[in-house]
Amino acid sequence: MWLDDGGTVLASALRLTAPLAFAACGEYLAERAGTLNISVEGMMLSGAFGAVAVGSATGSPTVGLFAGALVGLLVALVHANLSHRIQINTFVVGLVINTLVLGLTSFLLQTAEFSRSQVSQVRIPVLADIPMIGVVFEQRWPFYLLLLVVPLTWFLVNRTRWGLELRAVGENPQAADVSGIKVNLRRRQAVLWCGLMSGLGGAYLSVGLVGSFNTNMTAGRGFIVIAAVIFGAWRLKGTLLGCFLFGAADALRLALPSLGVELNPQLLVAAPYLLALAVMVLMAKSQREPRALSKPFERGLV
Amino acid sequence: MSHDRARTDGPAPALELRGISKRYGPVVACDAVDLTVQRGEVHGLLGENGAGKSTLMKVLLGLVHADAGEILRDGARVEVHTPLQAAELGLGMVHQHFSLIEPLTVWENVALGEPGRVDRNTICADVEAVGARYGLAVDPTATVERLSAGERQRVELIKALRRDPKVLVLDEPTSVLTIAESAALFEVLRTAVAAEGRGVILISHKLAEITAATDVVSVLRRGRLAFHCRTADTSAPELARQMVGRDVSLRAEGAALGLVVTDDPAKHLTPVLAGGLGAVPAEPPAPEASADVPGTAALALHGLCVAGPDGRTLLDHLDLEVATGEIVALYGVEGNGQATLGDLLSGLMAPDAGEVRVDGRPVSLDRPGALHHAGVGVIPEDRHRSGVVLDMSVADNLVMTDLRRFSGRLLMRRAQIRAQAEELVERFAIRTPSVDAPLRTLSGGNQQRVVLARELSANPVVLVAAQPTHGLDVGAIEDMYARLREAAASGVAVLLISTELEEVMALASRIAVISSGRITGVLDVADASPQRLGMLVGGEAA
Repeated sequence: MWLDDGGTVLASALRLTAPLAFAACGEYLAERAGTLNISVEGMMLSGAFGAVAVGSATGSPTVGLFAGALVGLLVALVHANLSHRIQINTFVVGLVINTLVLGLTSFLLQTAEFSRSQVSQVRIPVLADIPMIGVVFEQRWPFYLLLLVVPLTWFLVNRTRWGLELRAVGENPQAADVSGIKVNLRRRQAVLWCGLMSGLGGAYLSVGLVGSFNTNMTAGRGFIVIAAVIFGAWRLKGTLLGCFLFGAADALRLALPSLGVELNPQLLVAAPYLLALAVMVLMAKSQREPRALSKPFERGLV
Repeated sequence: MSHDRARTDGPAPALELRGISKRYGPVVACDAVDLTVQRGEVHGLLGENGAGKSTLMKVLLGLVHADAGEILRDGARVEVHTPLQAAELGLGMVHQHFSLIEPLTVWENVALGEPGRVDRNTICADVEAVGARYGLAVDPTATVERLSAGERQRVELIKALRRDPKVLVLDEPTSVLTIAESAALFEVLRTAVAAEGRGVILISHKLAEITAATDVVSVLRRGRLAFHCRTADTSAPELARQMVGRDVSLRAEGAALGLVVTDDPAKHLTPVLAGGLGAVPAEPPAPEASADVPGTAALALHGLCVAGPDGRTLLDHLDLEVATGEIVALYGVEGNGQATLGDLLSGLMAPDAGEVRVDGRPVSLDRPGALHHAGVGVIPEDRHRSGVVLDMSVADNLVMTDLRRFSGRLLMRRAQIRAQAEELVERFAIRTPSVDAPLRTLSGGNQQRVVLARELSANPVVLVAAQPTHGLDVGAIEDMYARLREAAASGVAVLLISTELEEVMALASRIAVISSGRITGVLDVADASPQRLGMLVGGEAA
């Protein structure tokens, strides 16, 4: 009985980790290029809304899912150009985008009726039949996209010239510039990747997990992603571990009452955020932060 | 070195710059500069700070676009808009401040800024091949931040040489190197020039280096080409005169220009050029520990230890004493703990162990401002970072450290501040339109005078001057030297932290040499020869 519950909680934890993991792949890459992208929250939220809106209009949640990713990309395009072309402070841009997206999606939600739509579930044959943990292998299909996106992100950052240049730009933009790298172009590209991934994460949340959109449905998950990158000390493996930790905390929050554990519900809701706060305090002195993180670059200024 | 290779006719020069002009707003950085580099020739480019050397090279490398002028490679006109284009044209540069990304590995840095795939194995093999050819051994998989300054310089050279440049620009290449490392560098240069027919532009402000290592020399002064001649046909004093635009005495002002204080300028560099790779002068001098300073030490540092955030040792049981009225120089190659000591004496950080005594009393370093109250004045190494507030007025900057004296319980006493500021401006000959002018509008030399005036007006017991003449022109340097001597004469203990041998020799009565955060020896200036100091700088404690 208890072990069955364990499997269920684990499956639930993974489900809740997935939207964070998608967005974290983006945020990780953006931060390695030197952008502490706080509009990841807005990118996720807009992706979630875009997915439901397009899914409802076309009748295909799968089309919706990819549309969500594109909406995230669109938001990123705005952010990238404002902060890495005309050099507006990236945090100001992020705040504005987050507020704007929250207001805009809430407003649009009331202007139309959206039908419920959810992508289908895929059951991995054999593995899903394993007792107790088999439930882990019955997920909505975009979940398995992670198996593609995570290695791809790692490969991009650590094996390609583009990734090498991203890292150079995140560590020392002046030196990168002298070496002939277009610093702000690379940073814009990194933010675009972040938008695409965050949009996908948000879309997974709406058309994958829930099947509908509600106001502020990401509820700070974007900020949790930022905490996860810090937790992972700017390494992909650690970042994903951080995402899982937060996903598990979220899953426990949902599972504990049904398991008969009595805890203050407000405390439970706050748990992932408290965990994020604790993590950031602990990792505040990490030496692996990209040295030019959130430092703007303009040619000629030293 | 033979100087007969410079050709006047024959094939087109490897590189020719014609009439390059560049202005930044009202400032003319380069004014119709011509420069020709032949194959197999080292072309020295000499000039003071702000003479236009860097701008000219930035134009050449595609980092800055010239307003006028043209660039010719092998006689054909070319356009250089990006560093990538420059590389394709066979123009390579080793930058003064390393263009290396510290957390990346050597091979990653070498690969940076090229088009195409990154193939770790190919690049690693390349690094080793280039290293073997020029005698620049370095582990391609090492992380750059773990390398010494000399090793980083090697990485920069490998990065540039791997692209097989036809013209190689070296911007102040020896400023952070020890004498042995400089020797190794010139060895590589000679190979690249003589055996492979490359053209080299050597930018320097060290006259001894220019006269010893170049075939042809050009001098830039205020953006214009002031002088050009075969190196064999000129002399260090002549070059100094061309650089400054008037005669300079070889002692005080000449020191600032990198003129060697000894009578024979070549003597200082002899071991550099005669010694082979890693050669150390044979003579083993034993520096006397002259710890028996007369009187009490105004400033005493005992066993100072500081570890960096990454666990690296920055200061290692550093002991040093400075007596009232004396100038002690702390000399060493950049990056050996001077910046840490400067920060520590500015009160910006506390040591892990050890103590600082001022006038014999220990100072608690945990409290901000404790050193200042104890009577330590500091001219910080980077005045823009920790010395002044550029957007505040001259007057505000002049009283900033002593606001208690100029304010009541709540409000500042503007009139008193103005009076004090006007007096200091007068006394220290600070050239400013008014005491209300933002400090940003002043020249570097006058900004530095503001710092000096403020620190001295607090009647300090100790004055710490960290690289006080960095980035200043000759006039300002002379003035700074005079002020420091004056301060010492009036009974202030002066600790001069400097990387300029000539500056140290010209000012100090004792020279303490720092290497890897340790004092490797203290010499009286009379006993100090460049060779002996060079050994100590290299960490060879006798």
